Amino acid sequence: MLIFISEDYGDLGLSPEDMQQRMGKWFAWNDQMTKDGVTKGGHALTAEVRRVTGPDRTLTDTNSTELKELVGGYYVVSAEDLEGATKIAEGYPDYDLGGTVEIREIMVFEQ
Amino acid sequence: MENQIIDHLFRHQYGKMVSILTNIFGLPHLETIEDAVQDIFIKAMIKWRNQIPENPEAWLTAAAKNRVIDLLRKIKSENNRVERLEQHSESQAIEELFLEDEIEDSQLRMIFTACHPILDSKDRIAFALKSIAGFSIKEIASALLLKEDTIKKRLQRARKTIKNENISFTIPAGSKLQSRLDSVFEVIYLIFNEGFHSNNQKYLIRSDLCGEAMRLNQMILKKESLRNGAGYALFALLCFQSSRLESKQDAKGQIIDLKNQDRSRWYKPLIELGREAMYKSLSYSDYCAYHVEGAIAIEHLDTSTFDKTNWNKILALLKILIKKTPSPLTNLNIAFVLIQLKNFEEAKHILDSINPNILEQRKYLFYGTKAEYFQNTGDLPRAIECLLEAISSVTNEAEKNYLQKKKNDLLNH
Repeated sequence: MLIFISEDYGDLGLSPEDMQQRMGKWFAWNDQMTKDGVTKGGHALTAEVRRVTGPDRTLTDTNSTELKELVGGYYVVSAEDLEGATKIAEGYPDYDLGGTVEIREIMVFEQ
Repeated sequence: MENQIIDHLFRHQYGKMVSILTNIFGLPHLETIEDAVQDIFIKAMIKWRNQIPENPEAWLTAAAKNRVIDLLRKIKSENNRVERLEQHSESQAIEELFLEDEIEDSQLRMIFTACHPILDSKDRIAFALKSIAGFSIKEIASALLLKEDTIKKRLQRARKTIKNENISFTIPAGSKLQSRLDSVFEVIYLIFNEGFHSNNQKYLIRSDLCGEAMRLNQMILKKESLRNGAGYALFALLCFQSSRLESKQDAKGQIIDLKNQDRSRWYKPLIELGREAMYKSLSYSDYCAYHVEGAIAIEHLDTSTFDKTNWNKILALLKILIKKTPSPLTNLNIAFVLIQLKNFEEAKHILDSINPNILEQRKYLFYGTKAEYFQNTGDLPRAIECLLEAISSVTNEAEKNYLQKKKNDLLNH
């Protein structure tokens, strides 16, 4: 699983021109992965964060502007190993915005 | 999938949507509207990653229509009336407000608002680039070679003035229209010149500004009631100048002056488009500075080499220009032409009459021309002295390099 962590797009002051170009890069990346047959799905997440913590199930709603790092979405991809997934993650378009990709292997259980 | 989106679609759609929503809800809500439109594009950016819609424009328009209801609720909850929507059933009214004619009309209203004489002339440019051309603060700052903070302040000041003075979102009528049109053309001319003369190292930024100026000019000319000689003459001038944009700098961003430009690279289709506009401009009775500047530009464009330039004709045109709009820069151009004509006495007389300090950041142009004068009269030491003066007052890297090179050439003479 590739987990995308960055500042929320809404807080970055991107111009329409920036957004169009960024969208194009994501599209190309996604297109390439589809051609390579590695994508298994994924989602983009909205910037509203609600946390439930502790035995009292305390609720905290956090605004994206308070968070410099936010999980913005994820893709599930198929790869031989961590190295293979890392190769795929190199195409992530938002490194220049300070974004990070966290690569996590989905646990497979033996019978 | 080879679904390509046209260049600048987001930028241009942004301007359209902000205009149309402002037409519905009014200028006091401009900031709320801009946030809402920004949000539409963020959504589009994320949604279109996987699949670009068949008709991207229609998708964006539909999204904007949906926002009308949200905005209506939001603005009404602040106890504001939204008259244009209260007259009809909502959905019918929304459809009517998004017709192509209405969108164009809204954009014109936004242009006329941005060029309202009550706004500071510097604020007008920043506001126009933001609200009509969809530039971000960062992009405006980089295009105008200013700090982001400066732009932020200018935009805030413009919005505040619009609110405080209760400026209406309209195209003025009658005698007011003419003077407001002049202000519109001035803003377009300034935006263009920022792109054309800025010598920003990035060609893309320069051509973006010039392109936006031309697009605004075209929007005005599209509307019959707004057409006049000045509008067509300005468009002709912008076409003529644009045709040389690419040949003004080399691949490394170094300046190439008129004398050394590769004239075969001047872009012919734009020159022809300009000629056509100039021809149209002559069917109106007004005759303005843009006509003269256009005539000067075409004189250069029609000359095969720098040495064949008809300086006498250009001098005559510059003298008409300076009568129409006196400016120290035009005076400087006259001095430059007189030097080419070897009329050194008159050139010196004009140079002596100019106070370089009123040229502010363009002061280096004065010393550059003065250096040209001394070089042509054979006084190399003083030419070098003037170039040093020019180098010390120029801020732009590309200009500085150009002057340095000129100075070194003289030293190695």
